[in-house]
Amino acid sequence: MKAVCWMGTSKVETLNVADPALLNPHDAIIKVTRTAICGSDLHLFDGFIPTMEAGDILGHEFMGIVEEVGKEVTNLKRGDRVVVPFTIACGNCLFCKKKIWAACDNSNPNAHLMEAAYGYSGSGLFGYSHMMGGYAGGQAQYVRVPFANIGPLKIESDLPDEKVLFLSDIFPTGYMAAENAQIQEGDTVAVWGCGPVGQFAIASAFMLGAARVIAIDRLPERLEMARSIGAVTVDFGEEDVSVLTALKDLTGGTGPDACIDAVGLESHSRELQGFYDRVKTALMLETDRPSVLRQAIQAVRKGGTVSIPGVYGGLLDKVPFGAAFGKGITMKMGQTNMHNYMKPLLNRIESGQIDPSYIISHRITLEEAPRMYEVWRDKKESVTKIVIDPWAEIAA
Amino acid sequence: MNALNEKPNAEVSPRQTEASTILDGRYVPPPKDGDGKIWIRTSAMVNAPAEELYRMWRDVESAPLWQEQIVSVMRTGERTSHWVMQVNDERVEWDSEVLKDEPGKRIAWHSIDGDSENAGEVIFERATADRGTMVTVLQEFKMSTLASAWETLTGRNPKQAVVENLRHFKALAETGEIPRSQGQPHGPRGLVGKFKASAYGEKIATPSGVRSKAS
Repeated sequence: MKAVCWMGTSKVETLNVADPALLNPHDAIIKVTRTAICGSDLHLFDGFIPTMEAGDILGHEFMGIVEEVGKEVTNLKRGDRVVVPFTIACGNCLFCKKKIWAACDNSNPNAHLMEAAYGYSGSGLFGYSHMMGGYAGGQAQYVRVPFANIGPLKIESDLPDEKVLFLSDIFPTGYMAAENAQIQEGDTVAVWGCGPVGQFAIASAFMLGAARVIAIDRLPERLEMARSIGAVTVDFGEEDVSVLTALKDLTGGTGPDACIDAVGLESHSRELQGFYDRVKTALMLETDRPSVLRQAIQAVRKGGTVSIPGVYGGLLDKVPFGAAFGKGITMKMGQTNMHNYMKPLLNRIESGQIDPSYIISHRITLEEAPRMYEVWRDKKESVTKIVIDPWAEIAA
Repeated sequence: MNALNEKPNAEVSPRQTEASTILDGRYVPPPKDGDGKIWIRTSAMVNAPAEELYRMWRDVESAPLWQEQIVSVMRTGERTSHWVMQVNDERVEWDSEVLKDEPGKRIAWHSIDGDSENAGEVIFERATADRGTMVTVLQEFKMSTLASAWETLTGRNPKQAVVENLRHFKALAETGEIPRSQGQPHGPRGLVGKFKASAYGEKIATPSGVRSKAS
């Protein structure tokens, strides 16, 4: 089959590799009908996530048709149409029982690597380094799905793939970010980053009762999309805009009730701190560039909530913990507990509350993926979301 | 009259054995390596009844399903068994004897003859609030720390093997399988990729978990 492989930092190739096989009794093989490139795939592309190996198949947002099931899989059969969550969960450990699926004890074969870095291991993820399990990803024609009796969501309506594909990660991730923001009716919520997760965080904040959502980015196409669903936008790239002042001005001097960092470890800052983080990460004295997180902690109102769906991987410098303590804020974060959100959000799509496909800008083939990783990194061609048809020969 | 008389969910003090982590209310650190011996103590919370886990552990002939590099185990008596381990090209064999056998609670064993000198104990304690069973394993190997470091570089250090085996045991008990990513498709690994796979311990085969095939 054809698959998109990570071959080193800033190097991605579409290669012919072996087809996946059933390896465990709860496995399924899925024929992938649609997959996507995630913003977090850029952290891999840029070499920020350790324990990638040359040849690793990328991709954790995918859906398709069940091709084959292991002998213990009872809820799926060949021909079923499914969306697969990017976090792999066993369904029967202490954490799955508590519905903290992203902390599953039994889905990471390389748990010792994550234990060494984080103390304890989270769940395995598709196509996201060996520390996260070394599972082959879904930017391919076929993919093996472990614990297929727990994760995959069956799509029984005739909704097109593009409307349900984002249930595999970014819609639930944006939704959990809004849920973690503990929004009360009438709240003002500020969202940093208007990429796909930011978009769904904005949409979900409105769904959960926010009165005003303030969207912060510098790319015109993203800000335009944010306004199209009702957000007030702040362009931090404009010469005379200070984000902190803007957020005070837009909240009567109180500050946002909740701040959502939908950017994560590779944030860009034009201030001095941006230069500081670039130097320190280049010297390997710091692994992540947390300028958005710093700003969100500074901006949130007293007693407010900072919600972090953006990915962080390692060590952060100069995080204003005094401000966090001084204002008595709450911080909530982590990989998405996918299995809690897929079905309820499918219901919202089916009832017409939201059509997640509005973020798609590019539809491509597997062959075009390597070039599009660069376009996505450089934010060229007004790119907002790239969707791949693994079986298409010519771009749509 | 005690100073504190309201502890609605406090656990009762656990009983004392070799592998215990608490003695008279004080935490007991794991034994230190030395005198040609290395020690490892590790524990896991397993969502299954203690009796079931005891039976799984005591069924020594099934050990190759969840213990790394164990090729075969044959029962040779009520309390004795013969173990065969394959480490790269080397075959390691020994006989083992159960010393303490308390159904649902505790098993202790030691090697009696062969290429490996080892001893161990596993205890199964009912966890609080229906969390299942706390399984604690203490194992010792006759081996210098230098040899242990060498094993870390060339394959699996025995300490890490005990940790991984308990992880496999837990996964098998909770889900009926052991998670694996070996045997999946991938592009060319190149030299660095191969080195990384070795460094990450991915060269050690994940035990099958089940007697039959996946499909």
